[in-house]
Amino acid sequence: MVEIAEIAVSAAELKLGTEPVAGASVTLSHAAPRARYSLRARDAKVLSDVIGRALPGRIGDQADGAICLGPDEWYAILPEGTAMPRGEGLPVSVTDISSRALGLVLEGPGALGVLSSGCPLDLGKMAVGRATRTVFETVEIIVWREAEDRWHVEVWRSFATWLWNAFLAAIPGAHG
Amino acid sequence: MLLIHCPYCEEARPEVEFVYGGEAHIARPLDPSTYSDEQWEEFLYIRSNPRGRHHERWRHTHGCGRFFNAVRDTVTDVFETTYKAGEARK
Repeated sequence: MVEIAEIAVSAAELKLGTEPVAGASVTLSHAAPRARYSLRARDAKVLSDVIGRALPGRIGDQADGAICLGPDEWYAILPEGTAMPRGEGLPVSVTDISSRALGLVLEGPGALGVLSSGCPLDLGKMAVGRATRTVFETVEIIVWREAEDRWHVEVWRSFATWLWNAFLAAIPGAHG
Repeated sequence: MLLIHCPYCEEARPEVEFVYGGEAHIARPLDPSTYSDEQWEEFLYIRSNPRGRHHERWRHTHGCGRFFNAVRDTVTDVFETTYKAGEARK
């Protein structure tokens, strides 16, 4: 008979932490609750007029919480409760996706190393203030470099527990 | 890791962000109801499958989300160039 060893950790044992975790030179915590909007339009000017905000034109740029993800796509991370006009009848899509994602924050000189443990981008070359959609291992994330040593990571809610634990595993000296 | 230049992001990005989308420049039938079985077979299934330069579609799924075209050598796996969807064959 073949003995099958128990796997070290089962998915059911993984927990999404609620308290900040500090390791050597890096802290992992939850971002404050936010309002999130997915904004789509072929013509940025029409969309910009509908929502009454300026939109960055270059992919990866961020202005006032609105990140330009693609040529016709923006992702707005705004203070909780912020409402936005829907632009009914116009060729734009303004969708409230506040509950779809969570924000995690990695802060400290070691944050870049933690992110780089699973993200294939050369994040060290990313300018402060820039943001992009990418992957961590196989999980899609949006990375926003808020400051030199502060990274805001948006992840879909259902992947958040896994990502939290993946970050914990990459933080030297951290215990979830 | 293979890096692919995305013509929309204007950056070289890791391959894992992309998804392959098959051969490029295959025009959809303008009037499908007039197509014969042979023409449908040609459109749906017949591909050039060259040894060497191949025009193909890629999508920057975990990035800007856009489809674009690329010229890749099927022997060496080297990307010769990438260009936006809708631009002429290179």
